[in-house]
Amino acid sequence: MAPAGNAKTSDKSQEKTQPKSSKSISSSSTAEYFSKNLQQVGFSSQTKAVLTTLKEAVDNSLDACEEHGILPEIKVVIERVGVGSIKNSERIRVVVEDNGPGIDGEDLPKVFGEYLASSKFGRGRCTRGQQGIGISAATTWAQLTSASGAKVISKTKGQRKAVSAVIEVDIKNNKGILKNRETIEWDRPNGTRVEFVFDGRVQVNGEAGLLNYLLGTALVNPHVTFQYQLPDQELQTVERVSDAVPQIPEATEPHPHTMKLGEFIAHSHLFGRVKTDVWLKRGFSRLGDAAMDALPKGLLNQNVDSLSNADFEKLFSSIQSVELKAPSTSSVLSIGEDALSKSIQRLGKIDFFSVVTRKPTICDFKPVQIEVAIARLEARLSENDAPVQVLRFANRVPLQFDKSACAIVHAITSVNWRSYGLGQPKESLPQGPYIMAVSVVSPFIKFKNASKETIDASDELVEEIRRALMQAGQKLSRHIKAEEKAEDLEEKKRYIEQFGPILVEGLVRITGAKPEIKKRAEEGLMKILGRDTSHAEKELNAATARLEEQLEKERE
Amino acid sequence: MALRKRNNDQIPEISREICLRMLTDLERAKRPVLHATKCSLDNAIYNPKIGFFTPGDKKVATELNVSSVKKMSRAIFLLEILLRNIDSGAVNTKRELYYISKGEIKGNPRLKPLDFADQPESDDIIDFICEMLEVYREDFNCYANDRGGQTYSQQLIVTETLTDGETATIDLSKLGTSPFQPKNRPQNFTLKMSERIDFGLIVESEGTANTLVANGFTKRNKSILIGSQGVPSNAVRAWVKTIQDQLKIPLYFFGDLDAYTLQNIFRTLKAGSAASLIRNQDYSAPDVRFLGVLPDDIKKYDLFDYPVREQDAQEGRALKKADDALKNDPFFQDKKNKGLAEILRWLLKNKRRCEQQSYFSVAPKDPTMPEKIIVEKIKRGDFV
Repeated sequence: MAPAGNAKTSDKSQEKTQPKSSKSISSSSTAEYFSKNLQQVGFSSQTKAVLTTLKEAVDNSLDACEEHGILPEIKVVIERVGVGSIKNSERIRVVVEDNGPGIDGEDLPKVFGEYLASSKFGRGRCTRGQQGIGISAATTWAQLTSASGAKVISKTKGQRKAVSAVIEVDIKNNKGILKNRETIEWDRPNGTRVEFVFDGRVQVNGEAGLLNYLLGTALVNPHVTFQYQLPDQELQTVERVSDAVPQIPEATEPHPHTMKLGEFIAHSHLFGRVKTDVWLKRGFSRLGDAAMDALPKGLLNQNVDSLSNADFEKLFSSIQSVELKAPSTSSVLSIGEDALSKSIQRLGKIDFFSVVTRKPTICDFKPVQIEVAIARLEARLSENDAPVQVLRFANRVPLQFDKSACAIVHAITSVNWRSYGLGQPKESLPQGPYIMAVSVVSPFIKFKNASKETIDASDELVEEIRRALMQAGQKLSRHIKAEEKAEDLEEKKRYIEQFGPILVEGLVRITGAKPEIKKRAEEGLMKILGRDTSHAEKELNAATARLEEQLEKERE
Repeated sequence: MALRKRNNDQIPEISREICLRMLTDLERAKRPVLHATKCSLDNAIYNPKIGFFTPGDKKVATELNVSSVKKMSRAIFLLEILLRNIDSGAVNTKRELYYISKGEIKGNPRLKPLDFADQPESDDIIDFICEMLEVYREDFNCYANDRGGQTYSQQLIVTETLTDGETATIDLSKLGTSPFQPKNRPQNFTLKMSERIDFGLIVESEGTANTLVANGFTKRNKSILIGSQGVPSNAVRAWVKTIQDQLKIPLYFFGDLDAYTLQNIFRTLKAGSAASLIRNQDYSAPDVRFLGVLPDDIKKYDLFDYPVREQDAQEGRALKKADDALKNDPFFQDKKNKGLAEILRWLLKNKRRCEQQSYFSVAPKDPTMPEKIIVEKIKRGDFV
């Protein structure tokens, strides 16, 4: 666990741009607002409280490791430690420990106890955390339900001893409070361990279960080694299958066509006193010389801090009417088919799978990349009539609630899976022992709500996901068809053995035919049915060859 | 098509011929093909002179291959059981045959692959055999439950020839309040009239048939009164056909005015159905007339009628089927049945229905009013 990004820097820049009085108003109301509206950020039920706490802590660990080029090793322990103070709740302890860069002692209150302190919102990067709300909300929940903050141990590289402290949220002033600080021996070179004790209820299985989150996170993070221990269960280890730390592409400057007027004006404040044309060229992407020529000259030569709101509006309208290149797709991050193929095999014993990584593209004027992995699980082979298990990811974070409204589910149900060999009731999810994982990566994912559980289903995004699913479906169907052909051949052979003799014997009994006729008829029957079998064999060989060809391509 | 000429005695021989042909084909490593009459509307011919649906030339061919070997093996297996029944004179329902086949398989583990998961599977094979041989299942001594057909008369005498050759004579006037229940073996009945019978009346509702009799219909009218109990079973169809052929009296059908009654009940009774193309010849009574309820009766007798509930699955389907029937059904398209087609058109246009029991609303205090209306309609020739 560590602040992903430099909390100090972002805090200072905030101080620079805001007058003192307004800052204190906004800070105090931020913490108070969230403490009263924790349901908006994932604490709407006791089971969700456990999942959200785990999720925020693990997201922070992964982001921090990636920022510092560390291959993450994360250990999760969740246990019941007693009866909760809320009716029908349990007292739960969630511990998340990582081998990340660690956090300086003085930064701990900001990271775990201050809302928006480490916000990366609008930076245009594909990080998991964006607003800097989540982990402070987890501390608030623990504080409100069990009167205890986040217990943190952290050690940065080079420190001889680790810092141990309890962080609480000063809700009135949106400040983290550091308590019981001490330096302790810790047998790790670097890393962070955070422990929350709070009221909640543990749900291990099911779509909204902890296991789904942990396995889903493992799937889209092939480079992570997970150790987890859930209540009443043994410690499990999921080893990493990739030694490559994902390189999070640098942020690109915002595209002016993705902005609203207010954002446009606010953006100018970050640049202080510069000429407007300098601001536009430095502060935005895709505003080239040709586009600049089409803008009002008089405004471009003025200092940006001297422009009136009417000037901004005029400039903004002009930019909106200029034709610009679509935003760059270089800021999106993919897992890659190779890593996904290895990672999906960590979900259980798998019969076969297909993965597709689409090229980055632009949807709704925002760069986006879709990846799909579909696997058939051996352990679920009997579940032919149950809907497939859908794993949804946004910037490599599993989404576990409000499934029906999500762009991913819309796309899955819009595909005709029957043509790929899967059962599918009308306008529903396909059926069978499959896991269907869809990852949407974009620096600007549009969620339906603040708790980031559902991706907004715009037509363009749904279509892009749909295409990825169809490609994966085509690959999958090769496996299924080869299997069907093999079953068909098997059944034909079985039929010949079973029914051939019965048929001839029946005919012989009714006609009273002689034994030599019976013998000749049996031989003739075998010849006829043998021809059918050889046809089925040919079909099987063709299907197997098509599958081999596909697998060969994938290996290349 | 040529009308059916086969009789029971021929079935074993025809079966053996088919089996022998199959064996010969197999000996030559040639795929045997079984042909069965296609029993559907596109293979149904309606000739007004004949008066019922007969099968056309279309056949469904089943060629032996890996996919059909199971069906063919099952057909030969059941055919053997059916031939044994003909030989021994044993009689069974389809359900019983299903269990007999289960018993055979239980006694011979090698036959296990033939096992039927449920009765519809064995029923389909029995139907396939019948369509292949162009015989009725009754020809194989396989009878359906004799539903419907309760018959009352003061003049009718039925002589039944039993399977052992003995005969039994039933004088319906001696049965008191009990009806005579016909079996679907028309060839076993010989009918006689103790005195002249003016007409036969087939009533859709069994309850209304019983009411008419209880109120003295058969005492006051020299008639035969039959309750069809909805869609006529094979027993009812064969019984009405027997009455028509042997007694040659006018026959009238009295039922609801709705699309379902007209198509599923009355047309089946009069001309048979596409699904039973093979048996229509002995199970249809083309002389039966539709007495009512007629559309004109509603106005004439001020009957209670009400709108069709199109959202009701059965009523909605019947209306849609009526539309299809006018376009595709040779029975309703034939000018001989123009009057019946007119009623269908009226039903489609007005989307109303009127039940036969509405006759009881004409004079609520007079329990014999429905009878009076029926008799008056017959006398006036007010039927289609």
